[in-house]
Amino acid sequence: MNEISVCRQTVTVELENGLHLVPCSRIAQEASRFDCEVQVCKDDLIVDAKTILELMTLNAEFGSTLVLEARGDDANQAIRRLVRLFETRFEDEAIGDG
Amino acid sequence: MKLMDFVVPEAILPDLPVSSKEAAIREMVTALRNCGSIAPEHEDSVVTAVLKREELGSTGIGNGVAVPHTKHPSVDNLVATVALARNGVDFASLDGEAVHILFLLVSPPDRPGDHLRGLESISRHLRNQNFCSFLKQSGSVKEIVDLLNEADNDQLD
Repeated sequence: MNEISVCRQTVTVELENGLHLVPCSRIAQEASRFDCEVQVCKDDLIVDAKTILELMTLNAEFGSTLVLEARGDDANQAIRRLVRLFETRFEDEAIGDG
Repeated sequence: MKLMDFVVPEAILPDLPVSSKEAAIREMVTALRNCGSIAPEHEDSVVTAVLKREELGSTGIGNGVAVPHTKHPSVDNLVATVALARNGVDFASLDGEAVHILFLLVSPPDRPGDHLRGLESISRHLRNQNFCSFLKQSGSVKEIVDLLNEADNDQLD
C-alpha cells in the first residue's frame, strides 16, 4: 500500500508589510507548480495555498506564525520551495508597496 | 474590518465606461478626489503610484476581479472605492480574463496593518460567488452600498 506523503512546517512572516498581495501571488504561483494539495494555516483559519484570494484572507501581519502543510507525492518539494520563499523574505523582491 | 469602514460611498462607480487599466485607475482616483477623499493636488501622484504598483505585477487576481492599490502619504486613513466595468477592462490579469469588478485602495504608508485588513475584508467577500454575482448585477450606487452592508452583516450566505 502506498502511503500519501504529508509534509508540514511552521514559518514566520518577516515582511514588514505582512503577507500582502505580492507575496500572496508568489505563494500561489509557486504552490501551483506542484501536484500536491498545499494549505496554509493561521490559528483556526486554513486556506488553499494555490488561490490568491484565499491567501489574502489570512491577514498575516509581520510576525505572524503560519503552518504550511502539503499532501501528495511532491509534498516535500513543495514545502521546501515555500519555506525558502519565507526564509529569503520572498527573495527580497520589490515588496514594499503591495 | 468592514467594507463600509473604508469604501467611500460617494466615490462608487456603478458603470465605468472604459476598457484600459490606466483609464479605469484614473477614473476611480478622480472619483475619490471629487468626494474629497483625496486632495486635488495629489490626484496625479496617486494615479502614478497605483500604476507603478501595477508594474510589480497585475492586481488583476483572476475571476474578473482587480484590486489596484497603493500607499500614499496624502491620506490619513484607508480609503477605497468600487467600480463595475460592464464591458470589462483589460487588466493583464493573472488568468487573462477581463476585469468587471474593481476595488481601488489608498492607504497611509505608516499603517500596513490597515492595508492588510482592507485586503482581507475584500478578499473574504469576493470568495463568495453570491457576492460577486449580486455585485455585478448592481445598477446603482445605492444597490452597491446596500450589498456591501449586507456583506458586512453576513447576510449573504
